[in-house]
Amino acid sequence: MSARTRYVFQEALIGLRRNLLMTVSVVLAVVVSMALFGGSFLMTKQVERLSSLFIGQIDTLIYLCDGRQCPEITEEQRLALEEELLNEPYVVSADYVDKQAAYERFVELFENQPELVDTVVPEALPASYDVKLSDPNQFELVLSKYSDWPGVEQVFDQREIVDQIQSVGSVFQVGSLVIAIVQLVAAGVLVTMTIQVTAFARRDQTAIMKLVGASNWYIGLPFMLEGVIACLFGALLAWGVLGVLVPIGTGLVSDQIPWVPFVGGRDILRAGPLLILIATGVALVSSTIALYRHADV
Amino acid sequence: MITLRAVTKTYKKGERGEVTALGNVSLEVAKSEFVFIVGPSGSGKSTLMKLFTREERADEGEIYVAGRNLNTIRSWKVPALRREIGYVFQDFKLLQNKTIWENVAFALEVIGQSSSQIDKRVPDVLELVDLSDKAEAVPSELSGGQQQRVSIARAVVNKPKLLLCDEPTGNLDPSTSIGIMKLLDRINRTGATVVMATHDQHIVDSMRKRVIELETGSVVRDQSRGVYGYAG
Repeated sequence: MSARTRYVFQEALIGLRRNLLMTVSVVLAVVVSMALFGGSFLMTKQVERLSSLFIGQIDTLIYLCDGRQCPEITEEQRLALEEELLNEPYVVSADYVDKQAAYERFVELFENQPELVDTVVPEALPASYDVKLSDPNQFELVLSKYSDWPGVEQVFDQREIVDQIQSVGSVFQVGSLVIAIVQLVAAGVLVTMTIQVTAFARRDQTAIMKLVGASNWYIGLPFMLEGVIACLFGALLAWGVLGVLVPIGTGLVSDQIPWVPFVGGRDILRAGPLLILIATGVALVSSTIALYRHADV
Repeated sequence: MITLRAVTKTYKKGERGEVTALGNVSLEVAKSEFVFIVGPSGSGKSTLMKLFTREERADEGEIYVAGRNLNTIRSWKVPALRREIGYVFQDFKLLQNKTIWENVAFALEVIGQSSSQIDKRVPDVLELVDLSDKAEAVPSELSGGQQQRVSIARAVVNKPKLLLCDEPTGNLDPSTSIGIMKLLDRINRTGATVVMATHDQHIVDSMRKRVIELETGSVVRDQSRGVYGYAG
């Protein structure tokens, strides 16, 4: 490591230790903010999963009889149904999902709940038609015409449920996002104050560096690194908190509502880089503002 | 090395309006010259020194230092200018928590010199200022004169073309001051231009170098082999 690089890291660490209380404040503010950001992100993912459960993009599901509640639909009846649907002026598409495809979709949706997947066999899931309507308000027409169609077990409108899920989810998302942003602004202000304090403590060194011809970016680098290290540490801690609390929370709730596909390890892993990026961005912006507006570097 | 043409620098002083620190000053300092800048407090000596390093910008006129036009130089090029200038302060401005070696090496580290260069140059310059045996001491363990030698060592370790000294003997007793001036003279003889602002009449009179006298922001005297006050 060159003398220059060593100097930058040494000074950054000295600054963090010198202002330990402020460093801890920055880290805590970032942990709270990033945990809320992560929570908002995971809520988005949860809503997506829940919506997928009802095959979000599809307006109407027509479940086909498989012998349990009504006689199993024949191939002839299925093709007749399909032809009728495709001839309807308000039907954009009608895609057949056989039992195997329905099972595969189920397995993917509930990948984080293997104990639930193990209890279901392909034969248990009915085949269906995913019907996309040109005008979702035409659902009543579909319901009235096809509810008693030979081979049809049930006609199901997903939009209302999906809308409810999404609006409840939005409330939580927006709420946690607002609080997260407020906390992040607080973290940014704390970073700025920390750098001002450090700049004051380091003013003799800075004056000498300027006079001997150190470049401005090199003079400012230890300060910026301080902010980045503190915020990065906070983001990593927040990621860890999510990694611990989210599985515990979903584990408790999934006992009550096992049919819900909850967010899991993969989603939490995806949240990490986002938190690191946001926290680092805030650190860089705050320290730049502090250096060039207040710290006379 | 330094050229000033009709340079004026004013400062705002709240309700009193403006104060002219330097008014229509023109002067030239050649390479390897040794120049004293003298004058009472408030005459403009410090302002002049700050203009040379682009710590302040002139309001009017032209300034050239080490071949660069300080009115047009881009901000990001100012550090390169300052690497060619050494600066010695009245209050030494040493880093109290670093050893003498580290204080001198600091000036090379922060401009990206390699460890091998640092290990070569620092001992050379400590020998120049006769402090080789004090490399591991910290500033608080040294006398005022020794601390000023360290300050000079730091100022010249990067072999600057121009050495600016702002009252370097201001905090020192007369005999120590003489030692410092001999050192500065020795540095000047190696080819560095030395410009020194001072109140020290004894030093100026004994060395008989060029003297530029400022009074209320104007050059009132420019005398080669001059003395502090008017001769006779």
